[in-house]
Formats: sequence, structure tokens, C-alpha cells
Amino acid sequence: MSNLKLLLDQLIEAGSNPKETVLKSMKDTEKEAVGCFPIYTPEEIIYAAGYLPVGMWGGPTDLKLADKYLQGFCCSIMRSNIEYGMRGTYSFLKAVVISIFCDTLKCICENWKVAVPGIPVIPIVYPQNRMIEAGKEYLKEEFKRFATELEKLSGNVITDDALVESFEIYEDFRAAMREFTVATGAHLNTIDTKTRHLIIKAGFFMDKKIYTPKIKEITKELNALPKENFNGIKVIATGLIAEPTVLLDILVENNIGIIDDDLSQESRGFRVAARKEGTVYEKMVGRIVDQRGCTFLFEEAKTRGAMLIDMVNKHQADAVLVIMMKFCDPEEFDYPIYKEEIKSNEIPILYVETEQQLDSAEQIRTRIQSFAEMLTMGV
Amino acid sequence: MFLGIDIGSSSSKVAILDGDKKLIAKTVVNKGTGTSGVYEALKMAFTDADITQEDVLYTIVTGYGRITYNNADKQITEISCHARGATYLMEDVVTIIDIGGQDAKVIRLNKNGTVANFVMNEKCAAGTGRFLEVMARVLGCQIGELSSLAKKSDDEVSISSVCTVFAESEVISHLAMGESIENVAKGAHTAIAKRVYGMCNRVGYAPKVIMTGGVALNRSILDALSKELGEEVISAPYPQVVGAIGAAVFAYENWDKITKKG
Repeated sequence: MSNLKLLLDQLIEAGSNPKETVLKSMKDTEKEAVGCFPIYTPEEIIYAAGYLPVGMWGGPTDLKLADKYLQGFCCSIMRSNIEYGMRGTYSFLKAVVISIFCDTLKCICENWKVAVPGIPVIPIVYPQNRMIEAGKEYLKEEFKRFATELEKLSGNVITDDALVESFEIYEDFRAAMREFTVATGAHLNTIDTKTRHLIIKAGFFMDKKIYTPKIKEITKELNALPKENFNGIKVIATGLIAEPTVLLDILVENNIGIIDDDLSQESRGFRVAARKEGTVYEKMVGRIVDQRGCTFLFEEAKTRGAMLIDMVNKHQADAVLVIMMKFCDPEEFDYPIYKEEIKSNEIPILYVETEQQLDSAEQIRTRIQSFAEMLTMGV
Repeated sequence: MFLGIDIGSSSSKVAILDGDKKLIAKTVVNKGTGTSGVYEALKMAFTDADITQEDVLYTIVTGYGRITYNNADKQITEISCHARGATYLMEDVVTIIDIGGQDAKVIRLNKNGTVANFVMNEKCAAGTGRFLEVMARVLGCQIGELSSLAKKSDDEVSISSVCTVFAESEVISHLAMGESIENVAKGAHTAIAKRVYGMCNRVGYAPKVIMTGGVALNRSILDALSKELGEEVISAPYPQVVGAIGAAVFAYENWDKITKKG
């Protein structure tokens, strides 16, 4: 088996089995794990505190207990997380971190304290006005407060050296991911849509010191291969998360490749590098300030549509694929604005609404296949 | 011979074209995916066309049950097949409203008859044939009688609930308040038309607007849609079989491509 195939198989396995991967990572690193709700959790600080930050992106599960706190119209991922929490699935976590970006996350923070009393919750609140000096100063202080909460949890001080080292590990990881997604875009036959997703997802459950070298190695192997001629449909995916995996199976069945993405679980998490100047916290603040086109970070200019159009043009993509996780209010608010911009540029756009508790994918299958037929007209 | 099969949620349809691309058989059996309906429809169509399976050169399957049907050369979605079937049967079609047993679709065509855009209803049954089935049950009539009941109305009862389950409760309340069955039946047709009008706006409709699917057999729905859209909505010929006909046309054209390459 080639080195590339071996690495891909390892990370596909890791991304497909979150709990097993986290438990193995805890064993290998001898660290306790801290769960990170989506999105923009400052994992560097958790890592510097000596913990293993692990992603909490819900999953397919029957909802029995979560309905006590979250109604059917709440975010599908949050409902899954509460369900898993109440069932004891997350019992191995030392704490969970909840970044407050929407109304549901606000409620979850309070719900968690009652619903899952055995696992402490540490909230972190990002500023709405992140681009003004007061917003930057606030976020820096919030990072410091967050670090103090972690110090209380561990009983140890986060040293400056540990913070610098952790920051560099995460910046190295993000740079590696940016190069990885460029390489996958040039090799859509070798790295199909599902493989790309699972490899990126694996990073949420592994120590970045172990994960990043694997990603670099995959990128190196891909770059050694000739650029591939993909004869399918190239799309820019946008939204919160490209799940459940049956959605990815349907994309692969219809020869649709994600050439680049604007997904919270994927590129939004690593497409912006931290700033070079200032303290570690100031550099981290700069990374949030410099993010553009993300629905969860307020931006008066609403640049998402223009950004997606630029991505389509840059990659010569055939369409924009909107993956709307039920019921993500911020994403739903943005959609009418960027949809009109994309349509006025005569770029095909497909809206697929999905949920983690999807019991039948036939409607989604018909939508995606019809869209593929519409674009190819080769039926 | 070229075979098109449309396996829907509540009925199975078959169409056969001959070597001159002429429609020679079309059948409908009111049994959908997961039943023997498709095999009964095939048997009837073969008898009508006086052919056997051996005479079939190419088969395309469409509809909700297309994924699980294994005896076709290719599967294509009902969106593409309704578009192709409609342009085979009629000229100058721009907008297609297809209301089936459990879903509703609006398809906008390009000038060359290919699909330009489409919308589908979400998971719920609002604006679908299922909504009419539920209304018929509550009103104590057959689904085929709903249209004639609505024609006899002297007023219209507004049904405001989008959800079919809530609409059922709403209708029961109206009946309990003494509203006539005829006026409620009229309201049920308008309720569907309003849901579909929203979908038409999303896709951007323009004349000629045609309707396909079994619900197009209901004259009152066509009237209600025409009123809501402000455009005449007409039924396609053989509306139930348009998807199967489109599949048969694709079968003919695929075979043509294969033999020309050949």
C-alpha cells in the first residue's frame, strides 16, 4: 500500500469515528480532553493549559432526552450535542467550551449546566463589533479571562512559553490545512468530496502535533502527483457543515467535487492566519478581526456573496452549493443576500437543507441529481 | 422500442416509444414504490404495445423508486424527465408544475427545453397530493370527487395552516362550525394553489405554464392555480405519464447516441 493511501485511510478512519479517535488521542498523549462546541473556540489556549481540545460537532442520533431543552426548530447540531451530553456519551470530557454566536448557543450554555451537571462549561463571548478598537480590546480580555478559567480547572498556570508554543502549533496547523485544500482542489479524483471532509474532520479529534505532520505528508504526496483533470462538476460549498455523510455520498455518486469551501467546520476555521505583530492574544484577535464573509462574525459590508463569486471565478467552478443545516438562523439570514448576488452573476446555485437526524435522504438525492443533470445536460 | 418507467410514491407509470419516437403505449397503476405496481404497469404496457421485454432496446427509470429498480439501463430524476416529457408533448412550455403524491415541484425551462431552474417542496406534505387525500378523508369523499364538490361551492373557506396535519384539524373545526363541505373543498384547492404559488415565485414563473402529475386531473386545482398565478395553467396531455414519457424519450435519445457512436 502506498504511503498516501495509508495516510488517507488512517485519517478517514479517524474522521469517521470521533469517539474512538478522541479516546485514542487521550491515551497516546496522556492528556485530558476539553470539548469545543462550534465555532472559533480558541483551542490554542486550551492546548497551552495542557488539555487536548476536541471538536463537538454533534452526530446522527435518535433524540429522546434533548427535547426537554431544545425544540424541534433548534439547531440540529446543538440538539445532538445536548442528547449526547445527557446520555453520558461525553463523560470522558474534563469540561466543555461554548462560544456564543447565536441565540441557540446562548441557551445551550445555560441548558448544559442543568442538563449535564457533571461536565463544567466555560463560555466565551465574541464581540459583535470586532473591527473597532474597543472590540479588539474586549476580545483580548475575553481570551485572558478564558485562560484564567482554564487555570482554575487545571490548577496550573498557563505559562507564556506554553502559550507561544501552542500558538505556533496551531498557526502551523492552519497553514498546513490551507496548503492541503489547495492540493485537494488540484486532485479531485484522488481526494473525493467525502474523503476531503473526513480528513479535515479528523483534525478535530487528534492532537495537532500528531495530525499536522500527516496532513503535510499528504499534501506533499499530492503535490508530487500531476494535476488531475476532473471531469465532474466543481462546486464551492458554503454553510456550517457538510454533513450528514449520506449527503457526501450523494455528491460523490453524482461526480460533484468540492474544489474549495466556505464551511465553518472546514476552511473558515483555518483560511485566515493570525497577525504577525503583538502578543499571542493580540495575534489571535487579529485572526478573528481579519476573517471575512463568515455569517457568525458581524460584517456590515456583507462580503460573503462577493467572496463566493471570487472563489467560483478563481477555481473556474461550475456552481455554488449551499448546505443549510436545520435550523441555523445566522446562515438563513445571510442566504437571501448572497443568493441574489450569485444569481445576478449567472452562477448556478443549489440550496440543500439538511439535518443530522436525517431519516431519509431521497429528497436530497433528487435535488442534487437533478442539479447535476441540469448542469451537464448530458442525460 | 424504448421504455420509460416512472415509479412514484403512490403510482407506477410506464411509457413506450417506437423506433420513430412515437408514443405507442402508456399505462398507470395506482400502486407506488415498494409494491408490484411497476410490474403490473409494465405487463399492461407490453400488452397494449403488443411487444415483449426482448423488443426493448433501452430503458430509463425515474421517480422516487428509481434507485431501487434494477432492470433499467439508466436512472434519471423526475425533474429532468418531466421537463423532457413536457417538451415532447407540447410546444413553448416555460414553466412546469408537477404535483405528485408526496411532493411538489416547479421547473423553469430554458428556450431549448432543458431545465434552467427548479424548486421542490420541503419534507412536509403541504401543497402535495397527500394534502388532497387528507382533505378528502376529512370531508368523507373520494379524492376524485373533490373537484366537483369545489365547483358546487357558493363561498370559500380559508385554510390558513401550512401543515397538513394542522390543516386537517382546521377543516374539522370549520365543519363543526357548520361550513358546507363544498366551501371547505374549494378552500382546500386554494390552499394548495397558494403553497405552489410561493414555489412558482421562487423559481420565477412565466407562461406557458403547464401542470403534470396526477393532481393535474383535478380541474379545480388548475382553476385555483390560474387564479393565484394570474396566468392560465393548463394540464399536459396524459399528465400522470409525462415523467414516464420523458424517460422513454431519454431512452430513445441515449440509444441514438450509443448507436451513432457505435
